[in-house]
Amino acid sequence: MIKIENLSYTYGDGTQAIKNLNISFPSEHIFAIMGFSGSGKTTLLNCISRFIKPQQGKIFLDNQNIFEMDVKSFREAIGVVFQALNLFPHMTVLENMTLAPCRLRRINEKDAKNSAREMLERLGILELADHYPSQVSGGQAQRVAIGRGLMLKPRLMLLDEPTSALDARTTEDFSRWIRELQSDTNFIVVTHDLEFARTAASKGMFMSEGEIVESGNIDGVLRHIKRG
Amino acid sequence: MCFIMSMKRLKVPVLLMSMVCAITLSATSDEFVTALTGKFPPFNYYNEGGDLAGFDVDVSREIAKRLKKELRIVTTEWDGIIAGLLAGKYDAIVASMAITPERKQSVNFSEPYYRSGAQMFVHRDNPNHIYSIDECSGLRIAVVLGETYQQFLEKNYPDIEVVTLKSTVSIFEMMEQQRIAGFVTDRLVGLWQIKNAGRSFVPVGEMLYTESIGIPVRKDSNKLLKQINRSISDMKVDGTMDKIYQKYFGTVGVAEGESAVGGMTFSIIANKLLKGFAITLLIAFLAISLGFLFSIPTGLLLVYNSGFWALPSRIIRMFVDFIRGTPVLIQLLFVWLGLGLKAFPAAIITLGICAMCYMAEAVRAGLISVAPGQALAARALGLSSFDRFRFVIWPQAFRIALPSLMNNVVALIKDTALVSIISIPELIREAQSIISVTFEPHKYYLIAALMFFAVTFPLMKLSGRIERAIQAKGFKHD
Repeated sequence: MIKIENLSYTYGDGTQAIKNLNISFPSEHIFAIMGFSGSGKTTLLNCISRFIKPQQGKIFLDNQNIFEMDVKSFREAIGVVFQALNLFPHMTVLENMTLAPCRLRRINEKDAKNSAREMLERLGILELADHYPSQVSGGQAQRVAIGRGLMLKPRLMLLDEPTSALDARTTEDFSRWIRELQSDTNFIVVTHDLEFARTAASKGMFMSEGEIVESGNIDGVLRHIKRG
Repeated sequence: MCFIMSMKRLKVPVLLMSMVCAITLSATSDEFVTALTGKFPPFNYYNEGGDLAGFDVDVSREIAKRLKKELRIVTTEWDGIIAGLLAGKYDAIVASMAITPERKQSVNFSEPYYRSGAQMFVHRDNPNHIYSIDECSGLRIAVVLGETYQQFLEKNYPDIEVVTLKSTVSIFEMMEQQRIAGFVTDRLVGLWQIKNAGRSFVPVGEMLYTESIGIPVRKDSNKLLKQINRSISDMKVDGTMDKIYQKYFGTVGVAEGESAVGGMTFSIIANKLLKGFAITLLIAFLAISLGFLFSIPTGLLLVYNSGFWALPSRIIRMFVDFIRGTPVLIQLLFVWLGLGLKAFPAAIITLGICAMCYMAEAVRAGLISVAPGQALAARALGLSSFDRFRFVIWPQAFRIALPSLMNNVVALIKDTALVSIISIPELIREAQSIISVTFEPHKYYLIAALMFFAVTFPLMKLSGRIERAIQAKGFKHD
């Protein structure tokens, strides 16, 4: 589904964050991009989500070069959830979720609200519909942010450090929860939390200094890291 | 949503702007436009009916009749009355202006239409035992700011401490408090004012000098000057001038018949104050609406200052700093006299630009307080740049900016008091014209202040309530 060819990214200060990277992310999996800080994993995520443009290399989504896709269809195909979540604080949970469908798909507000309620029910947080982001817990906010991304029914969701604000128990709940969602959407999860990667993902890769150290089945990758 | 509300409001200022444009249009060729202060009874003042009256007004009317033109009288501050003539705001000044060499450098005077003289007055008790101006060394003697008596005293009596005050009203107050030993003013005017205000001041000594009162016109108005001179000499010959003089200063007819000067009735006063305040609020409303409308793009330009927008942003930054760093009063005078705009448009445009600059800073502060992740998240959801601003950035920025925007609104309403200087009949000016007849500054300035407060106080309370409402709604800005 996502295929990356010869990807390199260098920041303005000369730091080469990604060095000639090649990889394919298979469909129907939760894929974990692991690595320590500075390994280039967030830069890679920003390239895939088109927030930054690499100096070299190509990224394909189902054989389409993402930098040649029109912005709207690209954003509808790939959803992003940020580490800081960035829920809109002046809107209720429901409004956060209906904004994009209303504006992008021109769906009327009532239908959008109905499908947002369905989504919230599936995510198990229907009771939060009329709450403001400041009134929900970290774990709940995480689900709202993912739900907001899922409203456009993307083919792929990118999650950046989804567990960084969660405690151990919520992390466990979260990995179970995301595995249940995986049936209709694929996830690429950037994380430094190896335990979370083990329980949530089926495949993954480990990056260091802009290069892939190991990739494949999650157990194999984790074994390799522990050995290394 | 707040943003949508503010979008709906946009139509109102646009409509009102076109009204303002309509006000600016006025015919001039068939009009004889003269200026006076309206605060110099019995020469020019507001009568019991709230209309302009007095010696100067009657003379203006008579001249206009002889010129076969429609008379329009502009009331303006004495301080800037010549500047207004030079800027073409009116054709002539018929305001009891003495002919002096200094004034002759910038304007041409008609033949004198009356002569008067400078007289010193002291308190009847005469605590300083003064019987002539020569005995006033080291004493404080007051004159009204901008009148010729000031230069005369400073030149001929350097030992006198000359105190310049804004009006006769303040001179009288200072006299009662014995903060000045006496004052110098026109003999006729002084006598009338003292009698009218029921004060115990008396003239002492000879007149200091006599002076000729003429009508100044611009130096390029030779034709008009000739016509005015002919009218004046005709009026002197056919007895019209004498009739007007008798009406105000003659011994016959002052006590009975049409009372030339006097107090105002309560309903006239209330009417003047309310009308003035309505104008104040209209100007404030238009300026604030205009300012708010333009403060949004201006605030945006101040924030987004890279790439193509770098240069415009820099220019706007300079402009905003300049406006914020200079007195509104100077800006008003510059636009009115310097650029030659009519008073109303000058007031609305100047205050509007001020509002824009001050509010743009509030908008800018609001915009930069919105977390950068918000725009990124909106982008990730595929929203267009306009939608990102409209639904995500602006509502948050507006909420953050709201308290300081409200402060700006309150400050702007108060700033409208300044437009009295450019001859707009708003609250302060109306209050002054009432005071020039009633001699009760304490009462009418207090009333004017309370009228302002009646509007600004609820606004200040509202600001606090909105702030709390935003917080209660769960939106907090960290």
